[in-house]
Amino acid sequence: MTKVKIATDWLAGCAGCHMSLLDIDERVVKLLEAVEFTSSPVTDLKHPPKEGVTVGILEGAICNTHNIEVAKQMRERCQILIAIGDCATFGGIPAMRNLVGTEAALKRAYLETESVVGGLIPDSPELGKPLEMVTGVGDVVKVDLFIPGCPPRADALFYALSELLAGRVPVILPPEHFVYD
Amino acid sequence: MEMVNITINGQKISASAGITILKAAQQAGIDIPTLCNHPALSPTGACRVCVVEVEGQRTLITACTFPITDGLFIQTESPQVVKARKFILDMLFSERNHFCMYCQMSGDCELQNLGYRYGIDHWVFPTYTKGFPVDATRKYFLMEHNRCVLCGRCERACGTLVANHTLGLRNRGAKSMIHADANFTFGDSSCISCGTCLQVCPTGALCDKRSAFMGRDEQTQHVKTTCSQCSVGCAMEIVTRGGNVMKILGDWNGVVNEGVLCQHGRFDPLYDERIRITSPLIRQKGKIIPASWDEALQAVAKRMGKADAKSIGVLASSNVTNEALYMLDKLFNKEMKVANVGLLNRAAPKLFEKSKGSLANIENGDVILVVGADPVKDQPVASFLVKRTVDRGARLIVVDGEDNGLAPFAYMCLPMADIGKAVEIAGRANNPIILYGAGVSEAAANALKKLQGKASFVALEPGVNTRAAVAFGFANGFKPSEVKTLFLLLGEQDGIGVEALKGIGKGAFVVMQASFSSPLTEQADVVLPMAIWSERSGSLTNTEGRIQKVSKAVEPEGEAKADWEIISLLAEKLDKKLGASLEELSARATQNIK
Repeated sequence: MTKVKIATDWLAGCAGCHMSLLDIDERVVKLLEAVEFTSSPVTDLKHPPKEGVTVGILEGAICNTHNIEVAKQMRERCQILIAIGDCATFGGIPAMRNLVGTEAALKRAYLETESVVGGLIPDSPELGKPLEMVTGVGDVVKVDLFIPGCPPRADALFYALSELLAGRVPVILPPEHFVYD
Repeated sequence: MEMVNITINGQKISASAGITILKAAQQAGIDIPTLCNHPALSPTGACRVCVVEVEGQRTLITACTFPITDGLFIQTESPQVVKARKFILDMLFSERNHFCMYCQMSGDCELQNLGYRYGIDHWVFPTYTKGFPVDATRKYFLMEHNRCVLCGRCERACGTLVANHTLGLRNRGAKSMIHADANFTFGDSSCISCGTCLQVCPTGALCDKRSAFMGRDEQTQHVKTTCSQCSVGCAMEIVTRGGNVMKILGDWNGVVNEGVLCQHGRFDPLYDERIRITSPLIRQKGKIIPASWDEALQAVAKRMGKADAKSIGVLASSNVTNEALYMLDKLFNKEMKVANVGLLNRAAPKLFEKSKGSLANIENGDVILVVGADPVKDQPVASFLVKRTVDRGARLIVVDGEDNGLAPFAYMCLPMADIGKAVEIAGRANNPIILYGAGVSEAAANALKKLQGKASFVALEPGVNTRAAVAFGFANGFKPSEVKTLFLLLGEQDGIGVEALKGIGKGAFVVMQASFSSPLTEQADVVLPMAIWSERSGSLTNTEGRIQKVSKAVEPEGEAKADWEIISLLAEKLDKKLGASLEELSARATQNIK
């Protein structure tokens, strides 16, 4: 039997959701009998393969144009897209920026911070451009399953993957796995 | 009452005509989710979360406001209803900052619970981008407007329960926000920090500074008890975690207060910074030093055992339990024949042999006389009752100084000398209520007696358990000059300085039973450390004569012991067989007070 391919990537997040994924602990051995993690920020291969994967997992909010590119690429290359964590589902911590505005946030961070001398707002063409509004992944691509939580519990992630392997797509996680914090 | 038959989710229900769909459903055990509704407040249907489908109605209707009539056919979780609720929640979540991960209410938030219940796992609408201010100008709790859902519970609690009318809603639409006195910070407003709004807030918008992030409700213990800060005797819950008091909540089932508390009851005791006395102290070679309970009690017994009853004096604070007052009376007065006893605070004059006034009666009054008492300062929850009644059109006449806290709400303020005028007006009313305190002059007391049979009288006793102290004869006048050995039951009482010992001869032996260290306790020969309000069980008598239980929520600090227990131990040392269980003592005390 061919293994089910899973790719993960992160956007504007803190890597906490990926840590939670690793917290599946020894169950990952069992999981790897059935799935193959093709690429992720914590493996050598970073980008989802061109030939596509079955499940794509995204952590983090949409903060800049680069995040949109990554989210769109993942969407194109996967069949089922899962947004994990409060940032990917709601905007989370990065969305706090919305309350002050992007410009003000950049100024505060790079120019006005007490320790800054001769500050500069980074504007290299290699960098994505910050967006006016930070949003969840669902605002730029279609998401098939949202798993909120900061981070989502390892059990919740394991449950979702197990359900998918069993051929079921959970629409909303059951209460024991559904948390906002 | 007329009963009608309705059907909810296919279940046939018989309920009183005119009650709301929500109440009828609750009586039948059917859960309809709510957000702006609160059992203690009148419903407004502001949040629309409780919408239900009623056959024959054009749209979905709010269950919390719709009165039932015969034959209603109601669906509470139909697809249409669930769709509408999700839409409502999507809109509520899209406004302001409802990120649970940095909110202290996460786990205890009613909005969050609704999000879980209806599976809100992402935002459907763009979130609101304009930040609202955070108002942390009050000492005890802050207002984070960004978490507010504009349910209006706080505004209704402030207006209808406390009758303080500080809070309101200003602006329209997305700019709406709760305000204090139209345009003041909470700290500068007319807010009296009673915390009723804090207790009813369904989200983390109103946030208790002390207990925030100290644990969820399920990690805490709630102990039902009675407030011992004044003589009203409000029912409350002490919330503890790991042996620490986190916060105090009003008990909605409380007979006297029905959930409302004041700043003195809800916050002040948690911010008490006085230094506790944690072990018995004995004076040796002019210095007061720690000792064991046995040594301290032995020292007291040695002195008292051989002292002449006439040379012994007993002074008590009213902030002690019925059981302690009973033991104090039994040991010193009944057993040792000590007659020179006194109370540290004044008591309201006894107008009649049997006073049967009840605080609940205040709300039936059409003219309210407040004579020689300032409930705003001393019994705030009683002042809420007065202000509520004034809101309903009752006339308030304050017979006291100009600075009386109720003066701004009064129809008329009179000096004590004009009591006759007040009595005359009250005499013409249908249901006059007289609230009187220790400030009533003798002439005024006589004038008030004319209203006997006509008016309802409620004494507002100063102190805490003053009514019980009076019943045990502690308010008879104390003669300090005759005292050579003094037993001073100081308890937790504040504001008593060394002047308490004025008139007591030099060289007198002074025993103090006290909770806090002060210049006064420095003067003692023996100090017996006493447990405070959260650390002892027993009962208190409120100003109406209602005897209510107090319960221990945490262990006494250090070696402190409950007030009644200390006197029991002392009695034992004096070879008086008075020892009994708390239940037994409570029963005996109750019998003596009645």
